[in-house]
Amino acid sequence: MNLKKIAAEIQAWFDDRFGLSAIFKFLREKEVPQHRHSIWYYTGSTILLLFGIQVITGFMLVFYYKPTLEEANKSIARIMTEAPLGWIIRSVHFWSASFMIAIVFIHLFSIWIAKSYRKPREATWMSGVFLLLISLVFGFTGYLLPWDDLSLSATKVGTDIPRSIPVVGIWITKLLRGGEDVTGDTLTRFFGFHVCILPVFIFILLAFHIYFIQKQGMSLPLAFENKGKKVRSLPFWPNFVYREMIVWLVLVGILVTVAIFLPPSLDKAADLMAPAPEGIKPEWYFLFLFQVLKIFPAKILFINGDTVAVLMIAVAFVLFFFLPFIDNKPTERKGKIITVVAYVVIVFAVAMTVWSLL
Amino acid sequence: MKLKHSLFSRRQFLNGLLGGWLGALAASFLYPVVKFIFPPYREPDKVILPFSDYEDMGPNSVRNFPWGSKPGLIKKEDDGAYLAFVAVCTHLDCNVVYLAEQKKFFCACHEGWYDENGLNIGGPPPRPLRQLIIEREGENIIVKREGVE
Ligand code: FES
Repeated sequence: MNLKKIAAEIQAWFDDRFGLSAIFKFLREKEVPQHRHSIWYYTGSTILLLFGIQVITGFMLVFYYKPTLEEANKSIARIMTEAPLGWIIRSVHFWSASFMIAIVFIHLFSIWIAKSYRKPREATWMSGVFLLLISLVFGFTGYLLPWDDLSLSATKVGTDIPRSIPVVGIWITKLLRGGEDVTGDTLTRFFGFHVCILPVFIFILLAFHIYFIQKQGMSLPLAFENKGKKVRSLPFWPNFVYREMIVWLVLVGILVTVAIFLPPSLDKAADLMAPAPEGIKPEWYFLFLFQVLKIFPAKILFINGDTVAVLMIAVAFVLFFFLPFIDNKPTERKGKIITVVAYVVIVFAVAMTVWSLL
Repeated sequence: MKLKHSLFSRRQFLNGLLGGWLGALAASFLYPVVKFIFPPYREPDKVILPFSDYEDMGPNSVRNFPWGSKPGLIKKEDDGAYLAFVAVCTHLDCNVVYLAEQKKFFCACHEGWYDENGLNIGGPPPRPLRQLIIEREGENIIVKREGVE
């Protein structure tokens, strides 16, 4: 019996049990359209790559990290100084998170502007919005884990924001904090969110998100849909995958370089009784929110300013989530207003972010 | 099947019964879960501090004390009276400092200002700082919440 035959038999054995050949067949036949805008197709897989890096470096960090009031800051100092190459691992985890969020935003706006969320891709968009939300919560919970002055104050502010939502707000704050105030319990709880609860949800949502994309195929730019032009396409396997791998390699190169030259700092352990340090700032992707809260007046008419701000943000978010149903025009319509709204949002967020840095 | 004067059929009745029972069952599982994740409230009713620790304070100065897991501040007025504050910003919960030269409390998180009596005078804070009642009892200072014996 030669090797080929054995291999074929093994394959048949697995196929009988798991029916994998259907998936392989699908991947062999999958095509990716090629056109002026196909560069945006790469954002999805780069997010997956960075997410994978987060998972692996996260597994590694958890071997040393201790999520308690007394030990958290010390254990990170230990990772940075004692664990072999620990500083690089932490730095990659830190930077890969930022890269991932940045590309998530690019991915999001490319889909928004191209209107790829339209029928039949509404569920893909909505699962994506949840993925965005979870990614941001990942960032927010991870920020506290080093337990230094900055992260403590940022967490106090962040977890206090929901409080201004009428009725349910106070319970959200308590749920996040594990009590009335931010304490050591909050740290332990955030660790639980970060390494246990959120990962479960992100994997489930990711599975749905990717399944929807495979089910519906890649969305085409409007120009092609309109003219009914024939689109060139590239086989997914192996041509497109090879191209993706080039992008991945370049990205990993940049990531590791940045991680080595700009490792995140670690301040002294947070003191619950100390006044907030000057210049507290959240992670860059929350800066626009931070600035909005800072400039909002304390009172608008008779209502608490923050309540107004939070409710406005909540409404904006709901609109954003239901975008495919608000803009439910047939695929060939351009939807100029929606495009303009996308650019306005981008300009607003960038302007607020820059302002907060001044 | 439906009896003559009945409002619903036997099937509806049984479905309602089953549904109600399942709902009650789910609630009985959910209740302990919800109960468990919200820890009991922990703010102290009062704290007792030795007076000797605060006796030597100069006028227009403050000193820390722990108010549960939050910082508290005892402030000595120019006339020698004592005030007590919860040193937590009423905007979004950051800890504040007292700047003695300016006679103001300051919150660095979003640049919130309070005057020397804790009144919010600038920036986003919507309310004055929370004041506590401070009493002298022999060798001790007692700091307590409003309405506590
Ligand atoms: S938390 Fe004090 S000004 Fe915002």
